[in-house]
Amino acid sequence: MSVLSAEAVGEAHRESFWRRHLHVFLLAPGVAWMVLFLIVPLIMMVYVSFWTQTTFAINSTLTTKSWSTFFASETYYGALVRTLRLWLTVLALTFIAGYPTALFIGQFVRNKTFQTVLLVTCVIPFWTSFLIRVLAWRPMLGKEGAINIVLEKLGLISGPIEVLLFTELSVIIGMVQIYVVFMVGPIAFMLARIDDSLLEAARDLGASPMTIFRKIIFPLSLPGVVVGAIFVSVMVLGEFATASALSGRKVNLLGNIIVTQVGSLKWAFAAVVGVVLTAVMAVVITGLLRLVNLQKEL
Amino acid sequence: MHHLVGLRWLLGLYTVLFIAFLYGPFVVMGILSFQQGPEGGPQFPIREWSTFWYEHVLGFAPPSRIAPLPIAEALTRSVSLAFATMVVSTVLGTLTAQAFRTKFKGSGAVFYLVVLGMMVPGVLLGLGMALVADQFGIDRTWWGTAFVLHVVYTYPFAFLVMLAIFNRFDRSVEEAAWALGVPPGRTFRKVTFPMIFPGVLSAMLFALTLSYDEFPRTLFTSGSDVTMPIAIYGTFAVEIHPNLFAFGILTTLFSFAVLTVYGILMGISTRRARARFADLQEEIA
Amino acid sequence: MMELQGLTKSYDGVPAIADFSLDIRDDEYVTLLGPSGSGKSTLLRLIAGLERPDAGSIILDGTNLTGTPTHLRGLGFVQQKFGLFPHMSVRENIAFGLRYRQIDPVTDRNELDARVEDMLELVGLDGFGDRMVGEISGGQRQRVSLARTLICEPRICLLDEPLGALDANLRERMTIELQRIRSTLGVTFMHVTGNEAEALAMGDRMIVLNEGRAIQIDTPDTIFNHPGCVQAARFLNTYNILPGGMENGHFLSAGTRLAAPRGIGDAAHYVIRHDHIDIRAGGTEPREGFAHMEVEFIASEFLGARVIYFFRRPDGGVIEAERHLSVVRPKDIRRGETRVLHWPVDDVLFYDRDGDLLETQSSVLEAV
Repeated sequence: MSVLSAEAVGEAHRESFWRRHLHVFLLAPGVAWMVLFLIVPLIMMVYVSFWTQTTFAINSTLTTKSWSTFFASETYYGALVRTLRLWLTVLALTFIAGYPTALFIGQFVRNKTFQTVLLVTCVIPFWTSFLIRVLAWRPMLGKEGAINIVLEKLGLISGPIEVLLFTELSVIIGMVQIYVVFMVGPIAFMLARIDDSLLEAARDLGASPMTIFRKIIFPLSLPGVVVGAIFVSVMVLGEFATASALSGRKVNLLGNIIVTQVGSLKWAFAAVVGVVLTAVMAVVITGLLRLVNLQKEL
Repeated sequence: MHHLVGLRWLLGLYTVLFIAFLYGPFVVMGILSFQQGPEGGPQFPIREWSTFWYEHVLGFAPPSRIAPLPIAEALTRSVSLAFATMVVSTVLGTLTAQAFRTKFKGSGAVFYLVVLGMMVPGVLLGLGMALVADQFGIDRTWWGTAFVLHVVYTYPFAFLVMLAIFNRFDRSVEEAAWALGVPPGRTFRKVTFPMIFPGVLSAMLFALTLSYDEFPRTLFTSGSDVTMPIAIYGTFAVEIHPNLFAFGILTTLFSFAVLTVYGILMGISTRRARARFADLQEEIA
Repeated sequence: MMELQGLTKSYDGVPAIADFSLDIRDDEYVTLLGPSGSGKSTLLRLIAGLERPDAGSIILDGTNLTGTPTHLRGLGFVQQKFGLFPHMSVRENIAFGLRYRQIDPVTDRNELDARVEDMLELVGLDGFGDRMVGEISGGQRQRVSLARTLICEPRICLLDEPLGALDANLRERMTIELQRIRSTLGVTFMHVTGNEAEALAMGDRMIVLNEGRAIQIDTPDTIFNHPGCVQAARFLNTYNILPGGMENGHFLSAGTRLAAPRGIGDAAHYVIRHDHIDIRAGGTEPREGFAHMEVEFIASEFLGARVIYFFRRPDGGVIEAERHLSVVRPKDIRRGETRVLHWPVDDVLFYDRDGDLLETQSSVLEAV
């Protein structure tokens, strides 16, 4: 039989120290990375938003001038309002367009393999370059685009519909198509998790399909809706590429303003817009997180 | 809901339309990628079917006024960046998820700190990092400032995937190894890691694709040597040509290839696992 | 020899193990009986080092192991769910600890192979070495789990409900196997179980655990015949426990007067083993030296060599009687029929309000 040597006992003490603090060592690299490259940049952004902006440079003299410029300017303030309007529209549309599909996949498809196939089918577009996905809408929506051609061939319209491309509408269509998958996934996941016996019990008690949907299925799918809404909100609020590609630079969101400001080296203004966007995000996300415990749903 | 046949068909039909909506632009893009070149533009009608734009993308087409996509440099950068990001964020994600297997004080704060990385819009993070770099005199490069942001973005995904894997992991197997006198580090290498490998593979796939396609974070931080998405974004400002569509189709095919390899690897490992686990579950139950 | 001194562990303020002390001798088979939630698994996990005690110490051959991590303790731990490595063959599973342990690993291929081969033979798995653990039956998995622990020659082998995952048939066979393997190797076994038959059958010494405390430590024979307290009697699952109190030399339990020996103290529990009860026709007169109760038949359970009869007591509770078919022929009783139950007063055990056994004349005599 093996006997603990003095060396092994000494090692035991070291080991137990290691073990007691093991999670600290495991967490340290990740936490350090996030603090350095996530928290520090965000704090820097807040800090720089109070710096003084001159035509080509910034200096660290603190001022609120950039802030007053932001709220005084029709362009900036308008961008904030437009961002919020677009976000709410896209959020509502992804929910309306996505829920029936999620319901079909999660509740009406009983075959697990088919369920997976359908979900993967929805996710495949996600594997193609985001920017090319956006660009693909141009030949679809343009004056000589696929939709106009088809509609004209069918005799439904006499001339091309021009509002389809380079308008806010085209931005909305593009964003809904790109982000709706993030709504469908979580909802379908929650719906597929509903215990069948629960629905059977409700049917046995004589509940109508509508009642079952309202009282059981919909409430149980709500965490999925919230998680989906978080995904969509995070992505839509920070958007700028879809807007610039499909609106011909006519629709300027907060993201677009940041890009333009950075392009002309207006760091302080860009930082102000960034802080505003962060504040909007924080309110939206904490509001949504209040409805669902993300850590528990996983 | 099984007896609601009518509703079932209605929703099924809707789902078909929904999928058509998701794929419509792709189909159009696919058709237009065979547009005649170099005069043919990215719109209908098709002047003449040709593979000119594919040749253009791959650099076989004769020189014309349309600049070729910077495949050689930008794509190489994108792929190297994606691989580096994949490795680092999977390692970080696995370490953090491993720490979350025991309860500890402040776990909620750490959880949200990590998840914040995928929540903060890329444009904000890119801006913040650009400000930091500008202020501290750090050069903005795709392998430096852009890389760290890619990890900030993909590490939370890897972490969540690994967290889900560990939630389903039976820890009695590890305890058995310790009780046999095998130290924790060796137990992790010999027992835990082989068992969680399919999960690690998923985490890697997530990180790889997210990083490869990443663009708002890269925009402000990659400096003058651009990655592929930035190169594509650059063409937004000027005229677009069907070479982008051809490139899109090619990358889609490439994604399919990666997915297929992943699927095969997963298939092999689950089949092996199934052979090994065979009826273990039911017998224990 | 291992000494456990005042081990204490609670989870979120709820005590799981409270001030537990025990000496375990070398080459001994200790069984630990406790219902679920009695803290028996926690105790094993504390000894194995998988949990850290709030107080108390674990001393093995004079060395304090309390702060030592699991892999340096040199103990074996066989889990209820086996915890086999699913990605390895039977042979690799068994060789794993020997090969990769930190202290004194065996790196020589030939020695490793030889020892694994010996172990396969000892646990009766010769020829199964190359199977994957998913390809063998539950009983065989149990043997692999045991073999990979024993090959490391632990000083004490802890077994956490090792037979819990097996079906009844297999369990009985493994009971014998376990004892054979243990006596071959001379390793101390500490076997935790919720099954009273297993605990009684296997141990040299038996511990009854309740709410994190040892309520009786003795030989299985003593515990079975004289449970030290009323909870121990309850866990043995073979005693009728009638609550009540003494009144004028009789025990009064919910309206029934039961005969009691003279000089018994302030009894609160009247405890009679199932197999001490005799079943008589309704209307049978009481006899001297026997207790007597009129009951109504509910059901019987045929268990092969024995039958358990369930009767309704006058107060509505249930009383069980067990008859061995080698002694009597099965009785044909119809539901609702009245019977009289008889048992010798000398066989009755009395416990006081705190659940402690009261000395009766007969038990004093027996002790002498």
